[in-house]
Amino acid sequence: MWEQIQINKRNSILLLTGMALFLMALGYVLGSAIGGPKAGWLGIIIATAVWFILTIISFTSGDQILLASSRAVPVDANVHPQLFNVVEEMSIAAGLPKIPKIYIINDQAPNAFATGRSPQTASVAATAGLLARLNRDELQGVMAHEISHIVHRDILYVTLAGVMLGSIVLLSQTFLRGAYYSSLSNRRYSSGGRQSSGGQALFFVLAVVLSILAPLFAQLFYFALSRRREYLADAGAVRLTRYPEGLASALEKISSTGISMESANAVTAPMYIVNPFRGKNAARLLSTHPPVEERIRILRRMSQGISYRDYEESYRQVTNRSGIIPPSALKDEPAAPRTPSVPPAPPPNPFQVNRQIGDLMRKVNGFTFLPCSCGITMKIPPNFPAPKAQCPRCGQIHTLRSQ
Amino acid sequence: MTGTMWMWVLLAILVFLIVIVISIYNSLVRLRNQVDNAWSQIDVQLKRRHDLIPNLVETAKGYMKHERETFEKITEARSRAMGAKTVAEAAKAENALTGALSQFLLVVENYPELKANQNFLALQETLTSTENKIAYARQAYNDQVLFYNNKIQMFPSNLIAGMFGFTKRDFFEIEQPAQREAPKVSF
Amino acid sequence: MITLEMDGVEADYCLACRGIWLDSGELEQLLQDTERARRLLESFQPAQGLQEEPRPCPICRKKMEKVSVGPQSCLVTLDRCPKGHGLWFDRGELEIVLQLGRFDPEEKIPAFLGKMFTSPQTKDNSDNP
Repeated sequence: MWEQIQINKRNSILLLTGMALFLMALGYVLGSAIGGPKAGWLGIIIATAVWFILTIISFTSGDQILLASSRAVPVDANVHPQLFNVVEEMSIAAGLPKIPKIYIINDQAPNAFATGRSPQTASVAATAGLLARLNRDELQGVMAHEISHIVHRDILYVTLAGVMLGSIVLLSQTFLRGAYYSSLSNRRYSSGGRQSSGGQALFFVLAVVLSILAPLFAQLFYFALSRRREYLADAGAVRLTRYPEGLASALEKISSTGISMESANAVTAPMYIVNPFRGKNAARLLSTHPPVEERIRILRRMSQGISYRDYEESYRQVTNRSGIIPPSALKDEPAAPRTPSVPPAPPPNPFQVNRQIGDLMRKVNGFTFLPCSCGITMKIPPNFPAPKAQCPRCGQIHTLRSQ
Repeated sequence: MTGTMWMWVLLAILVFLIVIVISIYNSLVRLRNQVDNAWSQIDVQLKRRHDLIPNLVETAKGYMKHERETFEKITEARSRAMGAKTVAEAAKAENALTGALSQFLLVVENYPELKANQNFLALQETLTSTENKIAYARQAYNDQVLFYNNKIQMFPSNLIAGMFGFTKRDFFEIEQPAQREAPKVSF
Repeated sequence: MITLEMDGVEADYCLACRGIWLDSGELEQLLQDTERARRLLESFQPAQGLQEEPRPCPICRKKMEKVSVGPQSCLVTLDRCPKGHGLWFDRGELEIVLQLGRFDPEEKIPAFLGKMFTSPQTKDNSDNP
């Protein structure tokens, strides 16, 4: 997998260089459009400063920005012990130097992503909807997929790209709005029709066109690179868990839930294990993720072995294409799949799922769970005013843990 | 004149050899430390499992009146595993414990009341996870041992290994035949 | 307001006034029979000529609308969130509504709900919670 790691490192550098060139060009054109050719150079200087700040921000706190914009909350092991166990298991299996930080997103739709700069500073996030629906093997499959993203260094590139793409969208929106108002005021107050106005008008049109196209191109650039990554993370997950069916049935559950994620947006969408949008919005982002049905079919065909070579073979049979796995990984040792660790059980019904999501979010938000000896469980919000609570059923009075 | 020249050449060869010996020695030490480190990873998980068992047995006992034999097997395997001195001994005893525990988890399926006990469910999750962590840590350990053992058997590092007393390490072997079997590769 | 759960049934409960709040969908869950719950919900009529102060919805803080259910002889007035977040039952109202729904009193859920909210006798056990 060193090829993929190299590719991701190279892409990160390309992205930063491309971003610098793009910002400089934009700065020059915008500067010229607003203040004539000399201001173009000023535009370049400002753009370089902007690029510098952006790069520093995305390296130091890019993951925090993406997590915060996805409304992910850091949690401790008491909130969901199984999630912590599974992440720790997969970290050991992958030989990560450190167990990633774990976040939960308050969202009904099942999904997950990983972010961070390096394996030492990685984070994984799962939605409440995911934790309520998946069994142990499925959760392990999803977390192994995310940990593979960390091992392959996909997270660095995606985090950089996410912050850069987000700022391009923001910059061009700001400019378009500014251009609109300044064009109104220019016409009214400045002495129009001077000699330079012909060139300025041309630049101005160019600037507007660029501002419209830039986010589109940025998005294309972002998406073109993310499909292969998902296949590779699937292959990596199978090697870690030694159980292709876990991930396959998780993907099936995630994709068959017809709820769009409320806490995802166009910038963060490519980070998730499955496209977070459904229905109308899905088409717009079709290219970020390979078709889920295809990923599931590839995984289900891997009945004999779980090595990269088995994944490559299965990929070839399903898609009639080849060469998804880098050559160095194809020489890995063959290994047989393991047996399921949880007995087959009917999937939880919608009520159970809602109940679990509710309980999980209460735990994330610091509710106290008080089981009463009469069989009732009282769930008390953190802002509950009284120090004691009486069980409405048997009248027992419980003392809340005083902080 | 030629004599001193020869002396210089010999000295150069000697320095070269010493440098090689030092670098091989250092790499052997590094590999041995990696093996020790990988072992301590397993050891942490094995200890966690040993600590977990009394709690688990205590919780399950009340529900499973007719499974005294299963409990005895687990307790016995646990005390034998805790007394193991060498890696090979530990591997054997821990495998027996793994077997006893997986049999116990199978029997649990017949006791729906036990499976509804929240406390037991939490213990069962911890046990399952510890078993997985042992398995994954064992893979990492065996990889390191293979690396290290190859190095001390191959020329020229075997000469230095022999001089400084680097000895072969035991693998943490697993018994389950299904897992040892080489998988069929389809073409 | 705290949340109570027992045997997989959940309701929000006000310790001060003993009122019960049911999120949308929770009534169905309590009755474990969506068809009957739907019929019950459809029998709600907008209440007329009432002087009660409107309550705010605990989720969206909008004023809730008064709805009444049952025959003229024993009309129960509930508060319903106009945005469909759920229903508010004053003390004792939930039991009456469940009876109105003509559910078999032997049935598990109504019987259980009756048990869940019987007025408690105080028993201080705060020393060992």
